[in-house]
Amino acid sequence: MTAYYLGVDLGSTTAKSVVVDETGDIVASQVVQMGAVSRAGLAKSMAGALETVGIGEDDLAGTVATGYGRRLVSGVGRTFTEITCHARGVAAMVPGARLVIDIGGQDSKAILIEPDGIVENFAMNDRCASGTGRFFEVLARAVECDIGELAGLALSGDRDLEVSSMCATFAETEIISLLARGERREDIAASVHRAVAARTLGLVAQVGKHGPVVMTGGVARNAAAVKFLEQTLGLPVTIPATPQITGAYGAALLARDTGDRPVAEEPEERRAESPPDCTSCTAYAPAPGARRLIPLEPR
Amino acid sequence: MDTATVDKSNRLSATKLGGKMVSDYWDNVFTARERGEKVVWYNGSAVNPFFQAAGLVWCHGEAFSARLAAQRLEQPAQLAAQEYGYVGELCSYARTHLGCAVLTQNAAAHGNGSGVVGLPEQAELASKLPAPDFFVNAYAGCSTGQQWDDISYRVFGKEVPIFNVSLPFLWGNKPDAGYLVGEEWEQASDYVSGQLHELVAFLEQMTGRPFDWDALRQNMAYLKQASQHRREAMALCAQAPTPATFWDWVASIAHINFLPASQELVDYFATIKAEIEQRLTEGTPALRNERYRVYFDGIMNWNKLGFLARKFADHDVAVVAGRYTHQAFWQEPHLIDPENPIRGMAQHYLLCPTNHGAGTIRQLILGDCEQYNVDGLVFHSTRTCRAFTNPQNMVAQAAQDKLGIPSMFFEGDVADASFYKDEILESRLEAMLEGIDVRRARS
Repeated sequence: MTAYYLGVDLGSTTAKSVVVDETGDIVASQVVQMGAVSRAGLAKSMAGALETVGIGEDDLAGTVATGYGRRLVSGVGRTFTEITCHARGVAAMVPGARLVIDIGGQDSKAILIEPDGIVENFAMNDRCASGTGRFFEVLARAVECDIGELAGLALSGDRDLEVSSMCATFAETEIISLLARGERREDIAASVHRAVAARTLGLVAQVGKHGPVVMTGGVARNAAAVKFLEQTLGLPVTIPATPQITGAYGAALLARDTGDRPVAEEPEERRAESPPDCTSCTAYAPAPGARRLIPLEPR
Repeated sequence: MDTATVDKSNRLSATKLGGKMVSDYWDNVFTARERGEKVVWYNGSAVNPFFQAAGLVWCHGEAFSARLAAQRLEQPAQLAAQEYGYVGELCSYARTHLGCAVLTQNAAAHGNGSGVVGLPEQAELASKLPAPDFFVNAYAGCSTGQQWDDISYRVFGKEVPIFNVSLPFLWGNKPDAGYLVGEEWEQASDYVSGQLHELVAFLEQMTGRPFDWDALRQNMAYLKQASQHRREAMALCAQAPTPATFWDWVASIAHINFLPASQELVDYFATIKAEIEQRLTEGTPALRNERYRVYFDGIMNWNKLGFLARKFADHDVAVVAGRYTHQAFWQEPHLIDPENPIRGMAQHYLLCPTNHGAGTIRQLILGDCEQYNVDGLVFHSTRTCRAFTNPQNMVAQAAQDKLGIPSMFFEGDVADASFYKDEILESRLEAMLEGIDVRRARS
């Protein structure tokens, strides 16, 4: 009987579910766009993916959750951060990839990965929404177009209006000022895409510019964002066939890899439950070989 | 979201005794005027042994800001500073303390000297500092410190004298330069020593009496002993699992930094060391289940001391050392000669952890990482203290390249809670630990 593993990515704007079989092949996926970390979206996404395979939750051999809402997903074996999941997903989708640029609804990340999908280093945007999917939503609202039309608009622009890349809120003010000045919507859209690319380059700088580069997350579906990023990086950027589900796919693979168990279980000798009151603990000798003891020498 | 439900940390009990010492110290400051004592406000380096020898009451600006933040009483002072004209991105130590100056002035203007009728209780505490008779500024490696005191001087109507000790940055770029060695180090030590003699003359002028050199020697003898106990106790935490954590050392910063030098202070650190030794003997760890050891680089987020201690413990992370605790505060006691204390004091003022070139900072932190055998580095990217954060990316890169140690960054601040977002720390910490897990499993 085939074993199936579920990966769930409950993000800030979408819920994504991916089911893989025991070979790691994707057998079903479902993306649902609802409110932020929406439980209803989560349920719909999971139900859709499982229905495609024709199984129920009880039939799953393992489940891993990721994304902002990962702790809200009930019945999972364990959770992993999006960083680990995107790295794992990309390593499987694009073998040999070294740098993952993930731009989601709420944050953006640059993740340096080893060939087997292990995270070597990562950097994330700080509290500002600049350089994220939210930034493009702000742009779409300001220039009065659908989010899906933005790429076409931006690719038609040719002037660089030097939009600030530091703050989504101020950028909106800036866009409105540019519109009021009579600048073309196409040029404004192109300038905002350039600003996001510049912001992303700052993240890449923190982990080091390496290729091959893979872009994931919802913004990877925006052709203009990819083009400007390629220009800024000076490197080609590969987009997986389904960039939005990379995190959920990585989660499903981690469910398969770990069988719901933590990736690194503690050595048996160190796993003994500590007594509730640490002040009375008497069994704390470090595991042999677990850690090098430092000789106590004066500075 | 705070996932910590059970406190898995096991903080040293000796530091609880220390809480009373700190409270007593501040009560003494608040009541200085009632005793007719002169008050000096100072920022930056620990020049307080001079004040103690001169019979003054001293108030360290950052320390009072940190205390307000730790008690969640900082907001009225920060608002007062903003109202006075200081933006939210100014050093929050400075902003809080400047707000205290404004509130203290307001309190004085209302005639009762200890608060303004109608002000909320929090503001009353922020305004409890007695106004200064004079300022001493001795700031190393900080772009704000001198302007901070300049503004305080203006708040008090430009009528309060200021003495400035100028502390040169240790670039560390001459051929013979290095930590505690080289021509630059010796010249800077001479330069600051000369200014400290001038500081003594200034204090004599302010107090109207001869400076008590014997008292200074005694103070430094106490501080040397206290520091020796502290450093030896820290070194014991290289063992795994660690018997004490960075949070215990943070809880003891006030003592080593600005409490009066005394036998009580020596005894306090001797007690801490004894408790750590006892823990090692009995096998009592500092947290219930140490699975990871990390180094914390950044000034303390004073609003979050207990919260962060519990959070890291909840993830089985022992924060074993940090630049703020381990590379500051009389950390080289062998430099102190109690019989001739000036030069060793000058050298410690130069050894502020923000006063070194990036190469020295990298060397010191990587040395600590090796000594304490850490698995990862946590960088507190302190929003309003760029002096501390500037070299952090370079250090992170060096730790990865030279020692294979991963890092994570989170944004926060020393005394402004609004810059901290828990989900950011939570996600990045988890991601770093997942990476450590995977590497362990693979090896």
